[in-house]
Amino acid sequence: MYTIFHAVFGYFFMLLAVRVLVRRPGGQLTPFEFVIIFLIGGIAILSTIGHDPSVTNCTCAVIAVGMVHRFVAMARTRWRRLGRWMDGLPLVLLRDGQWQLDAMEGMRIEPDDVMAAAREQGLTSFSDVKYAVVERTGSISIIKR
Amino acid sequence: MATPRTRPVEDSISKVGNELAVGEDLAFQRRWWRFETTIWILFALILAADLSGIFGRGPLAKASAKTADGTMKLDYERVLRYETPDVMTIHFGPNAIQNGRIELWVSESVIKPLGNQRIIPQPKSSILDGDGILYTWPAASHPNSVSFALAPSAPGSQKFTVRLESTGDTITRHVWVMP
Repeated sequence: MYTIFHAVFGYFFMLLAVRVLVRRPGGQLTPFEFVIIFLIGGIAILSTIGHDPSVTNCTCAVIAVGMVHRFVAMARTRWRRLGRWMDGLPLVLLRDGQWQLDAMEGMRIEPDDVMAAAREQGLTSFSDVKYAVVERTGSISIIKR
Repeated sequence: MATPRTRPVEDSISKVGNELAVGEDLAFQRRWWRFETTIWILFALILAADLSGIFGRGPLAKASAKTADGTMKLDYERVLRYETPDVMTIHFGPNAIQNGRIELWVSESVIKPLGNQRIIPQPKSSILDGDGILYTWPAASHPNSVSFALAPSAPGSQKFTVRLESTGDTITRHVWVMP
């Protein structure tokens, strides 16, 4: 029984921790972020399974996490405001030659990160970029001039 | 054949510069950043509390209690953790020894919710006595001490009592078991 509570608590706690830790867990995983995601995942498993690694316990834990995820996904679709809190919103980083400093500093994104995304689009300098937007997934979209 | 369900596409996403549909909401984002800062402060407080022992296994968790004449002294932790090993030690003074032995009554809660795993040294006898167990150790001289290796099996507040049979001295304490 405790496993189900642990799994549900672990899901929401991990969600909160990952959300406040990094914006780009899936977008641009650097080795630095890999360490965080895998380490907290491993620690959460210890607390969820505890001293009962039986198939019954692990099956219940997997089902519990799966069901919570399903319900959260449904709730997120139904209430868009919830989606904002869980996934965040896109933010404009660069607009018409001006860095949007609130967004850059708040998201802890450096111009180098934006330039890396611009290079992937075949652009050679910031002057070719009209807009740079950090997406909810954490990836940076570049709109050319 | 049923008609596929459709809905006209609306231009509902707010635009930046009147041309790029981004759906940016800086007011919300600022609220989120404030929330994020609060969470970080909370995380820092949790770590500080953990280091200090408020959640167990730290300096603030350690406690001791003794009888008025010092015949029995109990070293224990106010806060324990669920299924995590811990040791409670009882030190005995010279008055604790009667007829060459020490008899200690321990409430059942030390066995069940507090999860006593073993006693060091092993008692010579253990007798079920009411809602507890009476342990006996042969003892020649003091100092003597007995340790109970615990691994709590239930979270929450737990109460336990130890009583020295030779003097009737009793110590009762409440401990908290973290989930």
